[in-house]
Amino acid sequence: MNETNNLINLEEIYKSFHKNNVLKGVSLKLDEHEVISIIGGNGAGKSTLMKILTGVYRADSGKMEIGGERIENYNPAIAHEKGIYLVPQEPLLFPNMTVEQNITFGFNKSKYEIREETKKLYAELGWGIDLTRLASSLTIAEQQQLEIIKGLLRKAKVLILDEPTSALTFSETKSLFEVIRKLKDSGVGIFYITHRLDEVFEISTHAVILRDGKVTLKGNIKDFTKDMLIGGLLPIGSESKHSDSFEKKYTGQMDRPPVLTVENISGDGFKDISFKVYQGEVVGLAGLVGAGRTEIAEAIYGITKCRKGRILLGDKDITQLGINETVSNGLSYIPEDRFLHGIFPISSVRNNMTAQVVRRKGFFIDNKYEKEVTDEYIDRLRIKITDHHQEIKSLSGGNQQKVVISRVLSTNPHLIIMDEPTRGIDAAARSDIYSIINNLKEVGFSILLISSDLEEIERISDRIYGIYRGKCNAYLGFEAINAVNVMKAAFGTYEGSDSYVEI
Amino acid sequence: MSKFKTLMKKREFRTLFFLVAIFIIVGLVNSDFLTIGTIQNSLKSSLLYIVLAVGLTVVLLTGNIDISVGGTLGLSAAVSGLLLKNGGSIFVSIVVAILIGAIIGLINGLGVTKLKISSFIMTLGMLEITRVIQVIYTDGQWVENLPAGFKQLSQMNVLGFNLLLIIVMAGVIIVHLFLTRSRKGRYFSAIGDNVDGAILLGVPVQRYVTYSFIASGVCAALAGLIFASQIGFISTTAGLGIEMTVIAASVLGGVSLSGGVGTVIGATIGAVIMISINSALIYMKIPAFWNDAISGLLLITIVVTDAVLSRRADKRTKKERLKARVLHQEEVSINHAHAK
Repeated sequence: MNETNNLINLEEIYKSFHKNNVLKGVSLKLDEHEVISIIGGNGAGKSTLMKILTGVYRADSGKMEIGGERIENYNPAIAHEKGIYLVPQEPLLFPNMTVEQNITFGFNKSKYEIREETKKLYAELGWGIDLTRLASSLTIAEQQQLEIIKGLLRKAKVLILDEPTSALTFSETKSLFEVIRKLKDSGVGIFYITHRLDEVFEISTHAVILRDGKVTLKGNIKDFTKDMLIGGLLPIGSESKHSDSFEKKYTGQMDRPPVLTVENISGDGFKDISFKVYQGEVVGLAGLVGAGRTEIAEAIYGITKCRKGRILLGDKDITQLGINETVSNGLSYIPEDRFLHGIFPISSVRNNMTAQVVRRKGFFIDNKYEKEVTDEYIDRLRIKITDHHQEIKSLSGGNQQKVVISRVLSTNPHLIIMDEPTRGIDAAARSDIYSIINNLKEVGFSILLISSDLEEIERISDRIYGIYRGKCNAYLGFEAINAVNVMKAAFGTYEGSDSYVEI
Repeated sequence: MSKFKTLMKKREFRTLFFLVAIFIIVGLVNSDFLTIGTIQNSLKSSLLYIVLAVGLTVVLLTGNIDISVGGTLGLSAAVSGLLLKNGGSIFVSIVVAILIGAIIGLINGLGVTKLKISSFIMTLGMLEITRVIQVIYTDGQWVENLPAGFKQLSQMNVLGFNLLLIIVMAGVIIVHLFLTRSRKGRYFSAIGDNVDGAILLGVPVQRYVTYSFIASGVCAALAGLIFASQIGFISTTAGLGIEMTVIAASVLGGVSLSGGVGTVIGATIGAVIMISINSALIYMKIPAFWNDAISGLLLITIVVTDAVLSRRADKRTKKERLKARVLHQEEVSINHAHAK
């Protein structure tokens, strides 16, 4: 048992997409009987690394060895041949095929042979999915089981599990862990990608932390504590890295009644969320992608309905109102995906900016008024355009976002919800937007900020609520905000989090 | 679980049931409809549609669509018709027709896979182009007076059954077995079912999408030959508007427009239904122009039902997924124990 064989050896892997360096020299080794947890924030490069391992992407440079053998021309078919199998986060089954068809798909063996082997595996793992069921009828846990079985039938020596527990219930997670242990004992090497630090300690033998395309920490799990992992996730020298053009000071008016009160709301993807936003402050909802932040914002804005609880805007109950009504009551939402929901790409800058106020001007569109509004905001937010009628599509990401912010401001909202306001925006424009947000709050706007960029949350929020797996279990006041605490809040390990409170 | 089993069977079963229902209802109104002769005639006149529907189904399974079938049919029929008229052998003209279909299919396939043109636009353009080429090639003339030997092909009987009918049926069964049983045949529906999954399992997606268009082109060419043999002449508008009938037939037969679902058997039954509705209207003494309205209505009903069902399923899974994410009380206590 001590004689372990190397399964995978990656050395100095680099990968970039359109000048965006995603992986900056990652080296990684996996031996038999190892479960390596790969931890990293959003955009750290985990998925890219795994796609390189499975041959979907090709590395720009670097060395790759599988089972001691140097690999040059690589693609998914070879990956399967070599026994590397990815169980994706969203199972990639064929929903309109039966379980058996899914298992046998692309296999060279006879159906009967495969059926026998499947039965053997079922017995070993204690699973039993009816082979004649349609894949679309399976629960998510069953779909994952099916993916794992597919991998094992292909004699996988390396199994990559991409956030396998993100859609599993508690007992399903337990049984998955049992299987992982069995597989580990039988010699399979496993890469386990996760956000959940508890799970890392429960099942892995080693931990690797990826941050910003580099491995910042790796080693035996026994040598680590949760705080050390959090430390590895933090930007190096994060305290002094950025120089803001503004000085953050608290301008909230907590003595006055809150602008937004959220009381115990529950819905799909979140549960028992309560928080308040006061005038003149930026409140951050810190959490990882999939934690439920966007779902909460959508419930407040009226895109979805919550099952329980109350949402008050000022003293008006807006819990059951639709988007139209929440907007007319003074709520504004800058959505996550600017290109999908935020702009009208082939319309002019002016039309985009005045899209929400145009209807207030009677039957005809008031051109003069539109021009005034546009001029005002171009000046105020320093938007760089050549002319009002330029297509918004042709602007840079930062300027597009400024137009979106202008549009929102033109409705004179009580509360602005911003979901990932600087995604896909370069660094210079980013700090521009930060100072705009800072100005807005000083003028008296209230802002609810949602971002998975934890540094961003830390830099511009006055108060922070940590959202972890659909629950709000951490609160950071103005003084408590720093990189470590924000990271802890997002990963659900902040002292005072639910998981540490006596029940 | 058994619910899903029956649901799965339902797709083809539903169509067959519908076909039988048409015959019974029309038969009750006018018993002449139920004679063997009428049924044979219905089958015979739907042959061409069956062949087209089989080819189209292969394309639809991959999640694409082929609208150029009418044009391919016309062009290949006209070219091989002229060849026959000028004394070419039947064998050569068949080979030429198949080649034309395959080339048009190849161009369609490459346009969709390499140039990333949506299959709707690509094949729509191809439909117009092939029509014009046909007019240029035939100088805008009808191709008439085809040799009797060629026209005889569609009239031959074996053991009391039409020979072509037997060949086409055998072909349908072979294609069906290929698509559902063989390893490579199942690639087609896998691509339409889940492209990313197919890529991950090493399916050469682009190549197989191209194959599907070639298959459809060849089928359209074969349909062109059947058309020429059955009708005896090829007008410049041969097969005009036929693509809509064939798409309707496939969808009616349970082939999903979004890909991944359906069988050629279903599409075959769908094609027979489309023709049967046509002749049923005559037997029920309803003006024939109702035909298009009825098939249109059927098409919308089926597509809408499918869309509503799949949307509901999507919503349910999304909900389930979101719910599972929320931290549960039991986990909290376990983690708590760990922390200690």
